Amino acid sequence: MFPTPIQKRSEAVRVTYQVFLPIALILWLLPLIAVASFSIRPLTDFTQGNFWGWPSSFNLFTNYGRVFFESDMPRYMLNSLMITIPTVVGAVALSCMTGFALGIYRFKGNLLIFFMFIAGNFVPFQILMVPVRDLTVSLNLYDTKLGLVLFHIAFQTGFCTLFMRNFIKALPVELIEAARVEGVAEWRIFWFVVLPLMRPAIAALAVLIFTFIWNDYFWAIVLTQGPEAQPVTAGITSFNSQFVAQYHLMSAGSIVAAIPPVAMFFAMQKHFIAGLTLGAVK
Amino acid sequence: MSPLVQGAITIFVGVFGCVGYFYAANLLLDKVIYPAKGPNIGRNINRANAIRPWLFLLPAILALSIYLVYPVIGSLIRSMYNRAGNEFIGLGNYTSLAGDPEFQTALINNALWALVVPAAATFFGLVVAQLTDRLSWGNIAKSLIFMPMAISFVGASLIWKFVYAGDPDIGIINAIRDGMGLDPLDPLQLPFWNNFFLMVILVWIQTGFAMVILSAALRGVPEDTIEAAIIDGAGPFRVFFRIKVPQIMGTIVVVWTTITILVLKVFDIVYTMTGGNFGTEILPSYMMSFMFRDDGRATAVAVVIMIVVLPVMIWNIRQAQKEMR
Repeated sequence: MFPTPIQKRSEAVRVTYQVFLPIALILWLLPLIAVASFSIRPLTDFTQGNFWGWPSSFNLFTNYGRVFFESDMPRYMLNSLMITIPTVVGAVALSCMTGFALGIYRFKGNLLIFFMFIAGNFVPFQILMVPVRDLTVSLNLYDTKLGLVLFHIAFQTGFCTLFMRNFIKALPVELIEAARVEGVAEWRIFWFVVLPLMRPAIAALAVLIFTFIWNDYFWAIVLTQGPEAQPVTAGITSFNSQFVAQYHLMSAGSIVAAIPPVAMFFAMQKHFIAGLTLGAVK
Repeated sequence: MSPLVQGAITIFVGVFGCVGYFYAANLLLDKVIYPAKGPNIGRNINRANAIRPWLFLLPAILALSIYLVYPVIGSLIRSMYNRAGNEFIGLGNYTSLAGDPEFQTALINNALWALVVPAAATFFGLVVAQLTDRLSWGNIAKSLIFMPMAISFVGASLIWKFVYAGDPDIGIINAIRDGMGLDPLDPLQLPFWNNFFLMVILVWIQTGFAMVILSAALRGVPEDTIEAAIIDGAGPFRVFFRIKVPQIMGTIVVVWTTITILVLKVFDIVYTMTGGNFGTEILPSYMMSFMFRDDGRATAVAVVIMIVVLPVMIWNIRQAQKEMR
């Protein structure tokens, strides 16, 4: 096998590899490790300056229990879920249709619409802020989850369409033509031929959009205000002002807020990476 | 439980609304408006097929016009009105921006961000992709390096606050300084360098992205080109820089531009770490300082960001156009 696998190289190279890579990895993850270790310490450790030593006691359950029972954290988490999941469903459903139209049909304006979707994808969201906020206010959707969901669906449709269109374009055309020759109605072709083939793309896109929306902070602070509708990204800052200087709780809160997307990533790693690769390279 | 039920109903209505719309619209087109029978059957089928794509596109186009096209135009117009929005002042907002030293700082810092972050993230991503490529536990290492990518920018900033904290007991940086016998300092208040400390956070997040894409590209480099180079006596460095990198140049450019566009939009890090103080302002965070205070100025900054992104955007569309031919 070329080039020589690292195991067969000289001793020196191998040792450097095996020693430096783990060290670099630990350094890379040091911020996370530090926060994780802070989150299981009692408060007295912080007042006595024992930040880095062995914890004087393990307060995993007390600390995380306080995050869950003495703050609005569960609320924020629930809000995030109720914003993220409908958005994922809506954006994926819409983009399956638009992707199908742009990928399969040849018609006047096809390319123009496609380029508009690409352009929409690159528009900095800042330029939408004031009109979208005013629109949301005038629709009586300000500080509601629905307001955020509607906007997210619309805005994500650009990227999702791009993604789906490129995926559908790569499917074998013969399949669809065969179905047409057989006289299958167009909507049946979409539903029974193309949609089942799109399953991997749908999975990848869903995971990707889930993290995008879960991690959104900008629209969370522009379109929502209180614990009623705020997702966890905006909630974590209010959480931190509730527990100022209580480092153990602040760390536990940060960990709790980060867990869903990270868990999602580890559970669906393959789809996540496939999504990123598909979304970026084409 | 009522919010959960509400959510479930919303999803149900949404999905079935989509499916129902799609089914009903197609049926209407095929059976009622242009039925595939009668004397005009050929013409009817052609017409129905010309309209069909628009049926699929309609919901998305509608959504995008309301939430994308209209706001962009709205912002362009709004940026030419005064703070209250009732008086047309032309380019007044822009001229007052240009005179604001804070804006100039933001512009310079933004240029720094756009140069340093994509370069650093792509470089690290490339190096990591290469180093972990043929390692038995390489995939675990990759997952761990990629993990920050799943955390939100705000979440990552809050985590990095513990790294940069001014108190030597908490901050990792100051703990190290303390260990070397140096006085503690607040890294985020060091003029000029604090910008780079903030950039580190974004590089930390984006390296995983670059690594994933580039490692896929590296795997795609044909083995025989590498084999040939090694037989010709090229060392590992030359193989990497002369053989592998040139072959994945296209992907490197894509990764670079993707991160560049992202950098121009990210405000979360500066906003949560320093709030734009101590000379760390960048355009997106500068805009946030006008949120709810002066919509005219805020939209003007947004338009400036848009103008900065525009060349990258046009270049990308050109690229897509080329691929299509």
